[in-house]
Amino acid sequence: MASQLLIVRRKMGNAVFVVFCWVGAAIALGFLALILWSLIVKGLGGIDLKVFTMDTPAPGSPGGLRNAIMGSLEMCAIAMLLAVTFGVLAGTWLAEYAGDSLYGKVVRFVNDVLLSAPSILIGLFVYTLMVKPFHGFSGLAGAVALALLAAPVVTRTTEDVMKLQPPALREAGVALGSPLASTIRRILWRAASTGILTGGLLAFARISGETAPLLFTALNNQFFSWNLTQPTANLPTVIFNYALSAYDDWQRLAWAGAALIAFAVLFVNIIARTLARESRRS
Amino acid sequence: MNAQPQAETYESFVEQIPAGTAKIDLRKLNFFYGKTQALFGVTTGFAEKQITALIGPSGCGKSTLLRTLNRIYALYPGQRAEGEILFDGRNILNGGEDMAALRARIGMVFQKPTPFPMSIYDNVAYGVRLYERLGKADMDGRVEQSLRRAALWDEVKDKLHTSGLGLSGGQQQRLCVARGVAVRPEVLLLDEPASALDPISTAKLEETLLELKTDHTIVIVTHNLGQAARISDYTGFMYLGRMIEFTSTEQLFTNPKAKRTQDYVTGRFG
Amino acid sequence: MFGPYTGPACFTPKAAMTLAIEQTKTAEPQARKPRGGVLDPIFEGLCFISATTLLAALVGVIGSLLVGGWPALHKFGFSFLTVSEWNPVTEVFGAAGPIVGTIITSILALVLALPVAFGVAVFLVEFCPPLLRRPIGVAVELLAGIPSIVYGMWGLFVLAPWFALHIQLPLMVAAPPGSLLANLIQGVPNGANILTASIILAIMVLPFIAAVLRDLLMTIPPAVRESAYGLGATTVEVILSVSLPYVRRSAIGAVMLGLGRALGETMAVTFIIGNSHDFPKSLFDSGSTIASTIANEFNEATGAMHTSALIALGLVLFLITFTVLAAARALLGPAKTV
Repeated sequence: MASQLLIVRRKMGNAVFVVFCWVGAAIALGFLALILWSLIVKGLGGIDLKVFTMDTPAPGSPGGLRNAIMGSLEMCAIAMLLAVTFGVLAGTWLAEYAGDSLYGKVVRFVNDVLLSAPSILIGLFVYTLMVKPFHGFSGLAGAVALALLAAPVVTRTTEDVMKLQPPALREAGVALGSPLASTIRRILWRAASTGILTGGLLAFARISGETAPLLFTALNNQFFSWNLTQPTANLPTVIFNYALSAYDDWQRLAWAGAALIAFAVLFVNIIARTLARESRRS
Repeated sequence: MNAQPQAETYESFVEQIPAGTAKIDLRKLNFFYGKTQALFGVTTGFAEKQITALIGPSGCGKSTLLRTLNRIYALYPGQRAEGEILFDGRNILNGGEDMAALRARIGMVFQKPTPFPMSIYDNVAYGVRLYERLGKADMDGRVEQSLRRAALWDEVKDKLHTSGLGLSGGQQQRLCVARGVAVRPEVLLLDEPASALDPISTAKLEETLLELKTDHTIVIVTHNLGQAARISDYTGFMYLGRMIEFTSTEQLFTNPKAKRTQDYVTGRFG
Repeated sequence: MFGPYTGPACFTPKAAMTLAIEQTKTAEPQARKPRGGVLDPIFEGLCFISATTLLAALVGVIGSLLVGGWPALHKFGFSFLTVSEWNPVTEVFGAAGPIVGTIITSILALVLALPVAFGVAVFLVEFCPPLLRRPIGVAVELLAGIPSIVYGMWGLFVLAPWFALHIQLPLMVAAPPGSLLANLIQGVPNGANILTASIILAIMVLPFIAAVLRDLLMTIPPAVRESAYGLGATTVEVILSVSLPYVRRSAIGAVMLGLGRALGETMAVTFIIGNSHDFPKSLFDSGSTIASTIANEFNEATGAMHTSALIALGLVLFLITFTVLAAARALLGPAKTV
C-alpha cells in the first residue's frame, strides 16, 4: 500500500535524523575529549615545580615559566582593573541614562562591534597608540590591549543585569530621598553584583588566553621583571614561540603552559556559569 | 467646573477638605506619559495626619496621581505634570525644588516589597544615613523604633543583620514601611501596599497604618474597597484620569453622589 | 463641613496655610542635603565618559588602520586586493593570497561546522536525556571557551601529523595522476594546509553556533511545536518545517556570528596553515590568512611600506568582519554574554 510505504519512509527519515543528531553531539564531545586528553598527557605531565620557580630558559638548559606566568597575571590584573572600571560605568550609562537616545543606540552598537572584533586588530591599534609613539613595546601596552578586549564584555553584562533589576527598586531608593546616582551606586550595583561579577569572570577568561593582541604590544621578555614599561613576558606569547620552535624541551614547556592556561580558563568559566545560574535562581 | 473641557462630560463631586487641614493641595493637575494624557485637571487636597484612600478601576490614574506627589515620575524622560502641587503651600512642580530633599519628606511604599540587597538593619538605616549623622546608639534606637512602628520588631529583632531578602513577603513589605518611616517623612505614599500580601499580613499592615496616622499624612492607593473603608478618613474615586468624587470615607461608601461611584462601590462595575 | 466643590480651585486661606507650615517645621527639623553624595553630581558624567571611551576606541581602531594603511593603499590602489605577489624585498604587495585564504578557510570551516552544530543543538533540545542536558550543554560552552592558542597547538602537534599520515598520504598514493582528485590534494604532505586550518576553525566555531542555535530552539513556544506533533509529524519534520522556519532569521544571524569569528581568528590558523602568500592551488596546499600574515610578519616587517601593507591588510579584515558582524547583529539583536 502506498500510504504504508510513505509512513515507513517518513519513519526511516526520522531515524536517520536522530542518528545524525547523536553523531553530531558525539563529534563535538569527542573533540573536547581529544583536546583535553592531549592537554593532560602532554601538558600536565610536563608541569613540575620548576615551571613555577624558574624563568624561561635557553634551549637545552632547565627552566620554567615563572616570568611568563607573573607577566600574564600582572597584565591581566591591570587590564581587568581598567575594563571593570570603564565597563561597569559604561554599562551603567547604557542601562540607566541612555534610554532610547540615538547616542545610546550608537554606543550599544559600537560595543557589540568591539565585542566580536578580531583581537589582532586591537593589537594593531594599541601598537599605533602606545608602542610606536614611545618607541618601545611594554607590558602596559599589552594590558591596555587586553582591557580593550575585556571592557565590552563587562559593559554588555552590566547593562543586561542592571536592566533586569525591577524598576520599583530604583524608585524605592529615589523615593527615600536618595539621589539617583547614590541609588545606583549603593542599591542597584549591589543588587546586580553577582551578574557583574559573572561578566568580569567571563571577560577574564577571555583575555587570559589571548595571544594575538600581545604579539605587537607586550612582546616578550626572557627575564623576570615587575617593570611594565619594558617588554614583558607572558604565557601566550611564550607558548606561541616555544611551540613553533625546533627544541623538544621548549615544546614541552609550551604544552605545560597551554595546559595551565586552558585549565585555568575552564575553571574560571565554570565558576562564572555557576554564579550566573545561582543568581538566576534567586 | 474645571478648565478641561473633557471633564465636563463626567459628573464630578469633589468636596473640599476643611480649610487649613491640607498638607498637600492639587490644583488642576494634568499628567502626560509622552503624548498620552493620564490625569485631567485633578483638584483636591490631602488632609494632614489623616489617611486618604484613592480607589478606582485599573488604569484610572490613581497610581499616576500618587507618583506625581513625590515626583518619582521625573526619573523617566517624557513624563511630565502640569498644574500645581502645593506641599505646605509651596508648589513642588516649580523648577527650583531639591527633589532628593523633597522625597526625604515624602516616603513611598510600593506594590511589591522592594527590600534593598542588604541586611534588615541597613535597610532601615539606609535612608537615615543619607540625611542624618547618628551615633551607633542613636541609630540602633531609630532602627528599633521604626521597626516597632511597622510592627516588625518582634519578628526580626534577633536577626537584624541577616539579609532583608530572606524575609517573607509580608515581612518585607513591613520592612519597607519601617524603612520609609525611619527618615521621619511628613507624608507617606502607599501604592497598593497589600496587593501581594496574605490576609494576616494585610491586617497587620493596616494596624500599622492606623498607628502611623498620629504622625504622618498618609495617601494610599488600593484596589481593596474594604481596606479603604476600614482605614481611611477620606476617599477619592477616580475614573479615566479624573477625580470623580472626593469626600469623607463614610460619605463615599454610604451615600455616593456620582452614578459611577455608586456603581463601583456596590460592585456593579470595575 | 463639606459642600460640593464648585468654584475655581483656591480654597485654602493664606493664614491657615502659614499655620500649617509652622506646624510641620516644628514637627521635624531635618538636614536638607543628603550626605555622602559628593560623587553624585559627577557620577553621570563619569558614566557618560566611559561609554564615550568605547566609541573612541572603535574610532581609534578604524582611524589607526586607515592612517597606517594609507601609504600602501595609495601606492598599490585597487591592485592591492587583486594581485597575489607579496614580496617584501621588491616592496610589491598584493593581498589576494591572504584575502582568498581568509575567505576560503572561513567558509570551509562553516560548511564543516554547520551540520554538526545543528545536530548538537537539536540533540540538546530534542533527544538528550534530561539528566545529561545540562552537563553536555556546559561541555559545549566550555569548548567555546578554550583559548585559540590551545586549538592551534593541538592542530599543529596532534591533528596535522595524524592528518598527513592517515588521510593525505594514502589519498596521494591512491589518486590517479592527472585526475581531478590528484589536483585537489596536491601539496606537501605535512598536514599544514588550508584544509586542516579549516578543520581547526570548524572545531572552534562549532560550539558557538551550537550554543546560539540551541538557545534559539528553546525560545520556540511549546504550543507551536506541540501542535505540529499533534498533526502526526515526526521530529525531523517538526524541526525542519516548523522550528527552523520559526527562528530562521536569528539562525542565519547565529551562523554569520560564527563566520565572523572564523574570519578574525588568528592564532589557531597561524599554527597550521603553512604560511605561504601564494594563491592556494588545492585544499592540501599551504596558504595564509590576513590575520596569520599580520601575526607572522608585523614585528619583523622590513620597511615602512611592508608595515603599511600589513596595516592595510588589517583594514581589509576589519571591513570584512564588520560587514558580517553587522549583518549578524541586525538579524540577531544585541549580543548576549552569559
